Amino acid sequence: MAKNNQVIEDTYLCSGVKLGKDFFEKKENRILTLFLKGIIVYLISMGSIGFYMSALDIRYNEFLCHILIFVTAILSAFLYYRLLVENLGYLLLFAVFGMLVFNFRPYINSGFYAIVNITTDAAAQYFNIDIQKLYTEQIEDRYVTITFVCLFIGIVLDVLLNVFISRRMQYFNSLFTVMGLNLIPLYLILEPDMMYVIMLLGGICMAYVLKSSRHYSPQMNVKRNDNIYSEKGKKKQTNKQLSYVYNVKALGQACATTMIVVITVVVIVSAFKPKERFNVGYEGNKYKDLTIAGMTTLLIDGIQGFFNQEEHIGGMQHGQLGNVSSVKLDHETDLKMQITPYSFDTIYLKSFTGVEYVPYANEWVDVRHLYDEGMWQQTPEANELMNGYVEGDPWGAKGTLMLDIIDSSCADTYTTYYSFWDDNWTETNGYFPIEYYPRFSGSDTVMISSDYYEGTPYTQEDLYVPEENKEAVRYVIDQIEWTGNEENYVKLLKEYFQDNIPYTIRPGRTPRKKDFVNYFLLDNKKGYCSHFATAAVLIFREMGIPARYVEGYAVSYNQFENGELVEDTKYSDYYDGYSELGETALIEVNITDADAHAWCEIFITGEGWIPVDVTPAGEEEEVSDFWEMFEETIGSNNEDDGDALDIGIINFKIPNKLIKIVCYVALSIVALIIIFICGRYGVRGVIYLTKYKKATINDKLVMKYAAYCKRLKKKNKDFREYINYREQIEYIASRTDSSFSDKEKVIAILEKAGFSNTAINEQEQQCVLDWISNHSRLLKEAN
Amino acid sequence: MENIIRTIGYALLFIINALLFYFLHSHFTFIVMVLMIVAPIISIVLALVVRRFVTVNISNTDKSYHFGRQHEEAFFEIKVNNPTPFVCLEAKLKVKIKNTFFKTEGERIIDMPLHAFKGYTLELPIIPTLPGIVSIEVASLTIKDLMGFKYFKKNIEVSNELVVMPCLVNENLSKLPEFEQGMLESEESSKKGNDFSDVHDIREYIPGDKLMSIHWKLSAKRDILMVKDRVSMSDRQMVILPELCGENNYLLEGVLAATYAIITSLIKDKTTVRLMYWSSKRYEYENIKLDYKEELDEAFAKMFYEDTYVGYDEASINMASVNPELKAYAHVYGDGGRVVVTIRENV
Repeated sequence: MAKNNQVIEDTYLCSGVKLGKDFFEKKENRILTLFLKGIIVYLISMGSIGFYMSALDIRYNEFLCHILIFVTAILSAFLYYRLLVENLGYLLLFAVFGMLVFNFRPYINSGFYAIVNITTDAAAQYFNIDIQKLYTEQIEDRYVTITFVCLFIGIVLDVLLNVFISRRMQYFNSLFTVMGLNLIPLYLILEPDMMYVIMLLGGICMAYVLKSSRHYSPQMNVKRNDNIYSEKGKKKQTNKQLSYVYNVKALGQACATTMIVVITVVVIVSAFKPKERFNVGYEGNKYKDLTIAGMTTLLIDGIQGFFNQEEHIGGMQHGQLGNVSSVKLDHETDLKMQITPYSFDTIYLKSFTGVEYVPYANEWVDVRHLYDEGMWQQTPEANELMNGYVEGDPWGAKGTLMLDIIDSSCADTYTTYYSFWDDNWTETNGYFPIEYYPRFSGSDTVMISSDYYEGTPYTQEDLYVPEENKEAVRYVIDQIEWTGNEENYVKLLKEYFQDNIPYTIRPGRTPRKKDFVNYFLLDNKKGYCSHFATAAVLIFREMGIPARYVEGYAVSYNQFENGELVEDTKYSDYYDGYSELGETALIEVNITDADAHAWCEIFITGEGWIPVDVTPAGEEEEVSDFWEMFEETIGSNNEDDGDALDIGIINFKIPNKLIKIVCYVALSIVALIIIFICGRYGVRGVIYLTKYKKATINDKLVMKYAAYCKRLKKKNKDFREYINYREQIEYIASRTDSSFSDKEKVIAILEKAGFSNTAINEQEQQCVLDWISNHSRLLKEAN
Repeated sequence: MENIIRTIGYALLFIINALLFYFLHSHFTFIVMVLMIVAPIISIVLALVVRRFVTVNISNTDKSYHFGRQHEEAFFEIKVNNPTPFVCLEAKLKVKIKNTFFKTEGERIIDMPLHAFKGYTLELPIIPTLPGIVSIEVASLTIKDLMGFKYFKKNIEVSNELVVMPCLVNENLSKLPEFEQGMLESEESSKKGNDFSDVHDIREYIPGDKLMSIHWKLSAKRDILMVKDRVSMSDRQMVILPELCGENNYLLEGVLAATYAIITSLIKDKTTVRLMYWSSKRYEYENIKLDYKEELDEAFAKMFYEDTYVGYDEASINMASVNPELKAYAHVYGDGGRVVVTIRENV
């Protein structure tokens, strides 16, 4: 009789021999086991703290931390000695811990802020950005405060890891818990000290080895007993395994072996490939580079920075700035333009012109109020160019482009350089015609005199820089050595942007209560076209050059090369006059949100308002997810490649969208088929193994034989006709021309296994299996 | 299945680390990757080394007395010797336990750790509930590597056995009135010193002969001690013939217990007893003269190596034809669910 009047049932080794009860009453030293587990917890806990601290080179009282974290780890482990000790111990531990945290909270807070600030500094150094948002540390002595934090984290980790390690040896949970934050220094290419690498890896590996052995726990259930042996098996199983529960000496030796292996590997690897020289010659990883923009956004703006507040077209929002964290392109056609290409220059289609920048509201106010003054359509420039064309100027030309607005979210009206504004835009064959008079770079025939303007060529609003932005604007102006004329200014500013402020489609959202331009020029220092255009407008204005902000679409010459020829049209109907490209044809170009753009217009005396693009070239790939990468790989979604795939001489056109869909569907089908086949075999395999495991020795033999026959039936049609053991075995024997001596024995064993209640023995089973194996080989050779 | 799942889990961890290494290109992830490649190899090599050198011995720990006793605890010691400096956290012994006389058999897996340089000694206490020969055999030893990826099996054929004597239960005798009735006369005669025996031969005295057997007249004539070699009536009467019928283990156990108890009782009273049983292996009767307890145990140990047979009176059937000189014997057999002891005339 055991405690609680439980009847301990006799354990029979076989009928007539039972196991003495004292077999299960042998005890193991539980205290030493708990001590061992405490050491594992200490190694992981202190290892992870030291990992982070040494990687970031943070100074703190290491000795004190080692001592206290070790003591806490051992105490936490001993909580599992008895259930009562565990319950009361945890309560006491939490009470003491809570009291200490409450009393030392200024130290802990300051320590946390110190660690966060040090980490932020390291990140800023790595990303080469300037982060001014640092936490204020109430207590300045970092050595003390960080030591407090390490102790705080260490104790929390001890308690948490103790739950994972002491109960179930959950090495994965432990690893997941401690490595989460430790990836930060690794991301920043900061390596920890070897000692802490050994401690962390040693602890985890020890837990892994003990978990694999499954002999680590003094308590299998809630009940705590320290018996060495127990019975293991299913409830009704008669021959349960006699299993040892745990053995301190063996656990200790296993842990020591593991530690020796870890130390050896770490030391050898570090000797052959020291961490100081590990990244020499490494050129980086493109996937990591893709995350850098996001990480900098996170550092500067926090999580908020990742979310766009409003819908946009290629980042454009009709003058609304700062609400787009990252430009997400749908690559769908927004506009269709038919034009006769006449120049290598970019064609601009403008839809929005901003004159007044409102700081902190982060928006450009459009120029509707200037309509009446006729100052924003560049009518004087268009007039001058028209006159040149009419008067036979060799640079003079007149063209008509046709515009079809596909996406309803686009602006209603567009104009280009240089055209007359037509309030009554009328549709022709689904297209809106825009008459324009192009100006060619290098042309000196078109000089705009102020006589062409009905009033002044620009207003004071075109020179206005808000006071709030002066400092940021001056900051940039002061860094550039301005020489030459306005055209050179444009060049210098563009060079400055190219060298100092990278282009990105993921600049992050402008934080609340921050001004768009100030944030861009002083803090974030990265952005897309809207950022550059807005800043450039204010910089030009500060330099005394009238400037405006413009949004619309920019269509490059490359797109015309890949455009679609419009049949049955006459060149002369759409273009007349000088052309850099000679006589071309009417080309239809699809304009997507990838072509959406922002630029500025500056007024140069004698030339009038001219478009200026200061946005630097971006090296960043516009890949935001897997499917975009996939699309790039198969190259089916490149809008620049035209809208269709032209196949052969019959000119059969398959739209890219259709190709994309077909590819997706085909790939999905292939993936489904693979998953189905693998899954089917997998499920079958699992079911077979499960059945096999549970089967008796007779059934096991029958199952193995059936599997062999199934394989044989697939290869050999004749074999399918034989349905019983005798016929099948005789057939196999006859095909292999082998000795018939053991044939009868094999048949007898199979029949015994298949049809009788008498269990075969292992020799018989092996005999049949050997026979099958030999004949399978012979059959293969015979075939 | 368990090691397959563990291997898959390990492979997933390796892939995660490899991806981290590809992404971060850190020295730490590189070390982890090397460790994850090297560790399983080391683990398996260590297990192979242990398997190569491990040996198993089984001994009966009760050295003082050669035989075990039914319902009394006895010990087997299974000693797995590991001379290597490598520990093994799980070594599984496939142990077969048998009672060879009663033809019962069981199999157990016993797992144990193997300490470095020592191994492990497992003391297995057993309580035999049937007499006979309890045999313990280690068929194989399976060693799991430290990381739990693979089991390595080593075939080992080591065995040891313990002869278990029936227990001495007085109740057995009280159930046998016929035996008591049949034996009272001879028992009483033997105790009184009366001699019912015929003289079989006259020979010279050999030290150890009973004084009662000295032929005083002849000794005086020849001037040398001569003894009468008698065929004792009690010898003829004290033949015990147990039926080793294996159809019913319960009855067989009863037959053995009764036989053992009767003979023990008679030996205690200094009565010489002859144990006869039918050897189905050699197809003849075994006839063993018993004067001492040790001889009884030896005789039973010998008997336990015999095979049991089917018929409940197979031994008594041929008794008259094979041993015609025998006038009567005590027949111990099982019948109708109980053990019967009958004095049979050998006709």
